Amino acid sequence: MQTNLADFIRHTAEGAEADSILRSCVHCGFCTATCPTYQLLGDELDGPRGRIYLIKQVLEGTPPAHATQLHLDRCLTCRSCETTCPSGVRFGRLLDIGRHVVETQVGRTVVDRALRKLLRTILPYRNRFGPLLRCGQVFRGMMPPVLKKMTPPRVAAAPWPDNRHQREMLVLNGCVQPAIAPNINSDTARVLDRLGIRLITTNDGCCGALSQHLNAREEALKFIRRNVDTWWPHIEAGVEAIVSTASGCGVMLKDYGYLLREDPGYADKAAKISALTRDISEILETEDLKKLRPNTKLRVAFQSPCSLQHGLRLTGRVERILTSLGFSLVAVPDAHLCCGSAGTYSILNPTISSQLKKNKLEALGSGAPDVIATANIGCLSHLQSEASVPVVHWISLVADS
Amino acid sequence: MSSDSAQDLIAAVKRACDRKVALCLQGGNTKDFYGREPCGEPISILSHSGIVDYAPTELVITARGGTRLTEIESVVAEHKQMLAFEPPSFGSEATLGGTIASGLSGPRRPYVGAARDFTLGIRMINGRGEDLKFGGKVMKNVAGYDVSRLLVGSMGTLGVLLEISLKVLPVPKVEQTLMFELEQDQALALQNDWARKPSPISATSYREGVLHIRLSGSEKGVKAARARLGGEKIDHGRKHWHDIKEQRHKFFSQSGPLWRISVPPTAPTLNIPGSALLEWSGALRWLITDTPAQKIRAEVDKLGGHAVLFRGGDRENAFHPLATAVHKLHENLKKAFDPMGVLNPGRMYEGI
Amino acid sequence: MSTPASQFKEPLESVRARVADDLRAVVAAESVLSDIESLRPYECDGLSAYRKLPLVVVLPDRIEQVQEVARYCFKNDIPIVARGAGTGLSGGALPIENGVILSLAKFNRVLKIDAQNRTAVVQPGVRNLAISEAVAHLDLYYAPDPSSQIACTIGGNVAENAGGLHCLKYGLTVHNILKLKIVTVDGDLVTIGSDALDSPGYDLLSILTGSEGLLGIIVEVTVKLLPKPECARVIMASFDDIEKAGNAVGNIIAAGIIPGGLEMMDNAAIRATEDFVHAGYDVEAAAILLCELDGIPDEVEDDIESVKVVLAQSGYTQMQIAENEAQRQLFWSGRKAAFPAVGRISPDYYCIDGTIPRRALGSVLNKITELSKEYGLRVVNVFHAGDGNLHPLILYDGNVEGDLEKTELLAARILQLCIEVGGTITGEHGVGMEKIDQMCVQFDSLELTQFHAVKEAFDEKRLLNPDKAVPTLHRCAEFGAMHVHKGQLKFPEIERF
Ligand SMILES: Cc1cc2nc3c(=O)[nH]c(=O)nc-3n(C[C@H](O)[C@H](O)[C@H](O)COP(=O)(O)OP(=O)(O)OC[C@H]3O[C@@H](n4cnc5c(N)ncnc54)[C@H](O)[C@@H]3O)c2cc1C
Ligand code: SF4
Ligand code: SF4
Repeated sequence: MQTNLADFIRHTAEGAEADSILRSCVHCGFCTATCPTYQLLGDELDGPRGRIYLIKQVLEGTPPAHATQLHLDRCLTCRSCETTCPSGVRFGRLLDIGRHVVETQVGRTVVDRALRKLLRTILPYRNRFGPLLRCGQVFRGMMPPVLKKMTPPRVAAAPWPDNRHQREMLVLNGCVQPAIAPNINSDTARVLDRLGIRLITTNDGCCGALSQHLNAREEALKFIRRNVDTWWPHIEAGVEAIVSTASGCGVMLKDYGYLLREDPGYADKAAKISALTRDISEILETEDLKKLRPNTKLRVAFQSPCSLQHGLRLTGRVERILTSLGFSLVAVPDAHLCCGSAGTYSILNPTISSQLKKNKLEALGSGAPDVIATANIGCLSHLQSEASVPVVHWISLVADS
Repeated sequence: MSSDSAQDLIAAVKRACDRKVALCLQGGNTKDFYGREPCGEPISILSHSGIVDYAPTELVITARGGTRLTEIESVVAEHKQMLAFEPPSFGSEATLGGTIASGLSGPRRPYVGAARDFTLGIRMINGRGEDLKFGGKVMKNVAGYDVSRLLVGSMGTLGVLLEISLKVLPVPKVEQTLMFELEQDQALALQNDWARKPSPISATSYREGVLHIRLSGSEKGVKAARARLGGEKIDHGRKHWHDIKEQRHKFFSQSGPLWRISVPPTAPTLNIPGSALLEWSGALRWLITDTPAQKIRAEVDKLGGHAVLFRGGDRENAFHPLATAVHKLHENLKKAFDPMGVLNPGRMYEGI
Repeated sequence: MSTPASQFKEPLESVRARVADDLRAVVAAESVLSDIESLRPYECDGLSAYRKLPLVVVLPDRIEQVQEVARYCFKNDIPIVARGAGTGLSGGALPIENGVILSLAKFNRVLKIDAQNRTAVVQPGVRNLAISEAVAHLDLYYAPDPSSQIACTIGGNVAENAGGLHCLKYGLTVHNILKLKIVTVDGDLVTIGSDALDSPGYDLLSILTGSEGLLGIIVEVTVKLLPKPECARVIMASFDDIEKAGNAVGNIIAAGIIPGGLEMMDNAAIRATEDFVHAGYDVEAAAILLCELDGIPDEVEDDIESVKVVLAQSGYTQMQIAENEAQRQLFWSGRKAAFPAVGRISPDYYCIDGTIPRRALGSVLNKITELSKEYGLRVVNVFHAGDGNLHPLILYDGNVEGDLEKTELLAARILQLCIEVGGTITGEHGVGMEKIDQMCVQFDSLELTQFHAVKEAFDEKRLLNPDKAVPTLHRCAEFGAMHVHKGQLKFPEIERF
């Protein structure tokens, strides 16, 4: 597409990057077809091609107003559009740049700012979110239904295996997962243990995705540097991989190298970390699964998180692993569409989010499964709130024998 | 044969405009019986005949309006090709122009397409005596409105067809006709079931407890289908389908008005007394009946179809009446092509 | 005839505000867009080289609202441009400065599936592919499959008479629909066609199909569904020479075979596409043909053997038959993604849509290569070879001054070539705004006048997508081609649009 970026951004690195992304878009509209918000709202402005155009307009010097911000906010960052785009447009990256510029130029209302700030001050911190959630869980019985829905019941974690193995991997703890579903990582540890791999944890924290998506880039970088520092000794000691059990975080970890590319103190380390990062499905698919004998009685509907299929581009992997282990998977229509969780989206855009959730649960339920499996904590807790069958991380199915 | 014949026709239409007289376009006069009563000064297209262009590998033939249908059919047959919509000729005099203007299609229609589906382009004279070309000789053409297809079945009320380009298809390697004995409801249900799956069925007819179907395709394809469908093979298949197409089948020799009723294929047996013959997997129903037009049409309306009084009876309302808004569009279009109303006026509807 | 596109006395901005306010009484407030910021993304369709801001955009979701909008615009002489998914490649949905963009995108529901009758009733904003997906469980599908089928709407398909990869055997949109509901320019709801195979009177279904939004607004479509072929297999044949591949196409048809699909891609297209789909295309080939044969398994086997023989005679260098359904789908998905995949090798492309007799394929492709050299612009070929429907993509860079103009000149030369060999300027993408001047070459003034008369039969005030598809005689006179006599085309050098 023809572009003519404005002086304020034309000569910056971001400007150059945005320009090259914009120019690679040929305006074919294929991406609108798989965009969850366009499918719901039918407005060009709520689809990727329209958003690209909105961003282009801003970068070309038209001062944005509320409309642009609204339509960019409504984007789930699910990146379904990237998977669809034959031209290889890196929409996610462009959106990051666009949102940032718009936010600087438009600002936000006091209430909006406060809410975003609140989310950023609580969610990424285990020591803040955890106690809050536990508090909520204690009072769950007394809560109004709406809040109750949003507060997942407490899940007990199986004990972490303590066997020594030659092979070692490191797992990201992250922020909300240990509080909502501490079992996921311990189940992962148990599965890997059976495969002869010891999984270690560190005192890491939020991967940074939350802040990044709420446009607090410096804050995100702080989280990232902290994790890099925490993990570096282990990497030097030779851990084989950094395992991510939440695909949303996995995408972020694989982006560390890119995000810190201009930071001389961190660029190399971050790149190394990104290179070592593996989604747990990537680990399992290269191992000898015969050593695992999970209980495969349940019929499973697999919900492929956007971060897994569009972010990490690992479509079909988990399904293949589960099938090869003997699980029977039910067909899930429109598997490419987002469930509406999308990080903090469910809180910031509740109407669209709950419609997407409803559609997703219908699709997942259409094959009458016994359980819904997913690969990302965000989707898990989002779907769990209204699902009629249990929602688990798929690794827990594998761990269950 | 000379291109002067076109100029003659153009001049004739222009003169008619000047003199404000109606023209009655005539080809081989084989479809005189069809539609409302022809009226006006007869003007023959017959002299404007001949095949203009035929390139078998392009699957396209172009011929003048006055060309005999039989000539075209035999020329394409030499190259193992055919007019796949199997137009009925109703006599050896039938011309291509008349065939396209009446827009009738034969037994193969539901399976491969109708006259309009195979029409790629035309050269025509409109009611102002203007020489116009629309569409073309290629498979796809969306430049401008699809006037060529609009003219198909317009009964000469919009233009004189000077030249027509048609898509042709290879003749199937093998054709075979099968026979089944069934009640009508069963036959309808069975045909609809068959239609749900791919099959090489290329014609069907049902009359008095006997269903005939024709299979067309490669040897293996037809054999496989036959094995699946069952039925009894008959030898006089070609004649049977020819008779149906040309209305030589004894059904058509009965006395009384003949109705051509077009309905969705799943429509049940019509609740109208009379003698019936069904084609097109149930989508076309011929009916010989004295039931009043209004009653027939009320019944057919309910089913989402339409009824044409094909032969006999009172021709005044031969064609199914149109909804008001649609009728208005017809009037407008007539005016757009033939503002003076010189071309076959009233052949379709009063004033059109 | 009253003045179309009336010249507003008041300034555009105040008209905009007034019209938007009025329309907000008809549809939900957020379904009327009138701030420039929100209008901008609607300024073009799939042909982004041509842009214009609309007066307002309105997004109704009920037929009554469409009728109300039409009535309002009719009363106030405001032009209406209908818009589906905006994937059109000829600027058909290009806005008009003082006109409303009427988006049908919210009409995206499949209303009824009648498996027994093999029909589906759908709203106009339903995506082409979504129809086939909705009936897949019944082993049925909707046959026309434009490469853009993932995104384009059925309303847009009808308006353009869209073709696709399987049209040689299964026909275009016009062959696969039964009934339309349209809203006329003055807001009437009219049914065209019927549930039966034919309808009384003129074939209005044909005239509306491909009418590019100039005759009526399509608000409901009844499509025909076909049973999925029992067996479909696709052959991929490589050629070391594009002309040989072109000739192979004619040879296949000459052998009496009508393939389900017969598509061609040249080397640049193969490479760009392979980069996206990883289908295993032969990236060394000068051109590949994808030839699909479908039907009953035994029959397909026979046909494959026959095609193999023809391909051998035509001089292929390599051949591969898709091993399974997944690979077959992959072969096609690459072909379908080919245009935008070209975005990987060039920031912009300009897609041509000429259709020519098949026998001219080889020579026209060669001539295009020559022209490409002459103009110093790369041309990528990926197209519906079986239909003779060429899609040369001229690669250019919109940021380089003069590149687009040069591209348009080359495009005009290629279209001229198509007409010279007996073809047409558009096989399936429509005239829109883009090819409007070429219409003056393909049709003479009488024919154009007849088109205008047809338009007036539906839309006397010329409010529906005015000034598209059919040029005014005045425009043609300016274009300077009116003296060209049909049949013996002697072209004046075609200038830029
Ligand atoms: C990558 C790519 C590949 C393509 N491949 C093909 C192909 O193989 N075959 C093919 O035929 N086309 C192809 N196209 C062109 C395009 O997709 C088709 O023309 C399609 O039919 C347009 O549909 P749309 O919904 O996007 O319509 P739009 O672009 O929105 O509109 C197209 C025209 O239709 C009118 N219109 C839209 N909806 C309505 C309605 N409801 N009522 C009245 N008028 C309406 C508009 O006014 C406009 O004139 C391709 C396009 C792209 C970008
Ligand atoms: S990231 Fe998701 S929601 Fe956002 S534009 Fe792309 S497909 Fe739509
Ligand atoms: S699919 Fe890609 S090239 Fe096409 S409009 Fe979307 S982002 Fe642009």
